[in-house]
Amino acid sequence: MQQVWIPESLSLMEKLNILSDAAKYDVACTSSGVDRGNNGRGMGNAISPGICHSFSADGRCISLLKILFTNECIYNCRYCLNRASNDVPRATFTPGEVCDLVMGFYRRNYIEGLFLSSGILKNPNYTMELLYQTLYKLRTEYHFGGYIHVKAIPGADGRLIEKTGFLADRMSVNLELPTAEGLKLLAPNKSRTRILTPMRQVQNRMEENRGEVALYRHAPKFVPAGQSTQMIIGATPENDFQIVSVAQALYRKFQLKRVFYSAFVRVNEDSLLPALPGGPPLLREHRLYQADWLMRFYGFEGEELLSEDRPNFNVLLDPKCDWALRHLEQFPVEINRAEYRMLLRVPGLGVRSAQRIIRARRMGSLDFPDLKRMGVVLKRALYFITCGGKTMYPIRLEEDYITRNLLNVKERLPLGLGQDVTYRQLSLFDDMQLPLGEGQGQRPA
Amino acid sequence: MDIITVFQCEDSLDGILTGVYEAWDSRLGHGAVRLETAAEANLELFCAYRQVKTDLEKAEKVLRTVRKRMGEEGEEAVCYAAACRDSRRADAIYRMIVLGLHLIDGREAVNCLQNENVSLVMKLRMKAWHEAHQLMGFLRFEELENGVLYGRIEPDCAALPLLAPHFADRYRQENWVIHDVGRQQLALHRTGKPWVLAEAGDLDASYLERRSPREEEFCRLWKSFCGTIAIEERRNPRCQRSLLPLHFRRYMTEFQ
Repeated sequence: MQQVWIPESLSLMEKLNILSDAAKYDVACTSSGVDRGNNGRGMGNAISPGICHSFSADGRCISLLKILFTNECIYNCRYCLNRASNDVPRATFTPGEVCDLVMGFYRRNYIEGLFLSSGILKNPNYTMELLYQTLYKLRTEYHFGGYIHVKAIPGADGRLIEKTGFLADRMSVNLELPTAEGLKLLAPNKSRTRILTPMRQVQNRMEENRGEVALYRHAPKFVPAGQSTQMIIGATPENDFQIVSVAQALYRKFQLKRVFYSAFVRVNEDSLLPALPGGPPLLREHRLYQADWLMRFYGFEGEELLSEDRPNFNVLLDPKCDWALRHLEQFPVEINRAEYRMLLRVPGLGVRSAQRIIRARRMGSLDFPDLKRMGVVLKRALYFITCGGKTMYPIRLEEDYITRNLLNVKERLPLGLGQDVTYRQLSLFDDMQLPLGEGQGQRPA
Repeated sequence: MDIITVFQCEDSLDGILTGVYEAWDSRLGHGAVRLETAAEANLELFCAYRQVKTDLEKAEKVLRTVRKRMGEEGEEAVCYAAACRDSRRADAIYRMIVLGLHLIDGREAVNCLQNENVSLVMKLRMKAWHEAHQLMGFLRFEELENGVLYGRIEPDCAALPLLAPHFADRYRQENWVIHDVGRQQLALHRTGKPWVLAEAGDLDASYLERRSPREEEFCRLWKSFCGTIAIEERRNPRCQRSLLPLHFRRYMTEFQ
């Protein structure tokens, strides 16, 4: 590789600019999943819900100092800003510089910790070694006790990944694209097997470690906040059903903590990349996250939400409403008697509301005013629930009727997404026949 | 018409807890008493007013009973709800404690969300918790010339005592000061010592003006990081504003 590397010529500011700009397409910025007090020698702790320290102009949370160690890369992935063939300014931190930045920022309460990813400098082993050295310095020389999320580099030696995992809180390997074919097309230097190998290794080691920690309370912890991954949505032609199936398999077979979806942003001119006149597919990303939540916290299976025949999400309705409308035979649900898992399936009821209901109804029966006072939002739920056998208003349990009413409830899309979906006035002649259960082909752009 | 005795207590956790003690101790009956925080000036007809003098010992007694009978969750609910500004909170806290001490298992009191007092207390608890949690992230420290970290907040709830334990653990080896500008209170922490609450009256302003030499550099680095990390194609200031409301930004480095 003929790459010129002159770190001395760049100031810390320039490096930070280049390497945070290069890291911004990484999605995960969470600092959750681990509770740890101060280590008694240095600075830092972690709390399991995680803490957001700021929000950037795109509305994403800034919790960690998200940087690449280097944006030099020997690979030429077509979707990536830092691919080898792009003429962009390149920079590489030294471990000491990263530590200085982290400690300086952490001390001022700017950040919750470090998110360290990297392009591939020379070869995967060399890069992973640099990441390890940085973490080692941070944890042992600076006694940093905050949160660290580090990428495992596919293709790096297993022992290096293991050593690094004992210093980090969370590790992740990017799946990059939902399917192996997509990967072959857009990231010719990467292969599915090479990505899944470290993922499996981290999973196995975590399991072993749980045994060690159970035996010896002070045994060092390996990736205590679990493993995550991310994939790009909309760069390749997969449908939502395929993506959801992949995510489900990752949760089940690899016991991932999180799968992140990132709407494809076209940063390179390349004939194999799709043109996106309407901007990144943000609504699609939003629907995938909703489905992801349903799978992780609400007990839904991927196959319940989508199927081969209806492979894409409804644009107009969120996945839970969509599911409920197709399963009206399971409703209405009696608030005072229904099981927790059924309460979770009521549109409009979230985990918090369902838990409140379960706790409160032990102390006495619940009526609609009680629900309101408890902070349960009834806009959507009222079509699907009864209290003491009665619905809130005289309503009909019919798909068309409820659909029409649900569409009038403006869904709270992440602000700014609203422009993508226009709720036009329903017309009696057009819309009553509209098969709203199926959303194919209605996706904007 | 029966006369209601209103106990006016100081607008603080200890004030409210002393009020709870006095109201109970008066033996007038729970129906014949009401708690108010002194901030309200409107007097009502057919009410007898009593001023409650805050007594730390009585407050501590009440809190201890709450902890014992209503569990940690009950104690936390009382403390967090008392930190909010809501004028109904003193009475709601009183009613919730009355309920908790009458139940066979007082720990169930926090679950009685049908009861409007309990649901109010729990709502306020959530509100205070949320604001404290936001501030754990949004608070910014500046390093003064002598290495002391100085941070300012101006919260709606009395969040300072809720925040300080978190920072006392996080920056155990540091000397730091958090200044609640609205209430003129300080949380002070010295290396290796427990944190303390103090009045901000005699704080020397010129002392706070002198920043350490590296302060400006980190400020600039941070501001530029916050700029570059945003993806232009996803720009969404409304979303940013709803997640990070403007009133927090006054003391945040990246918005200055």
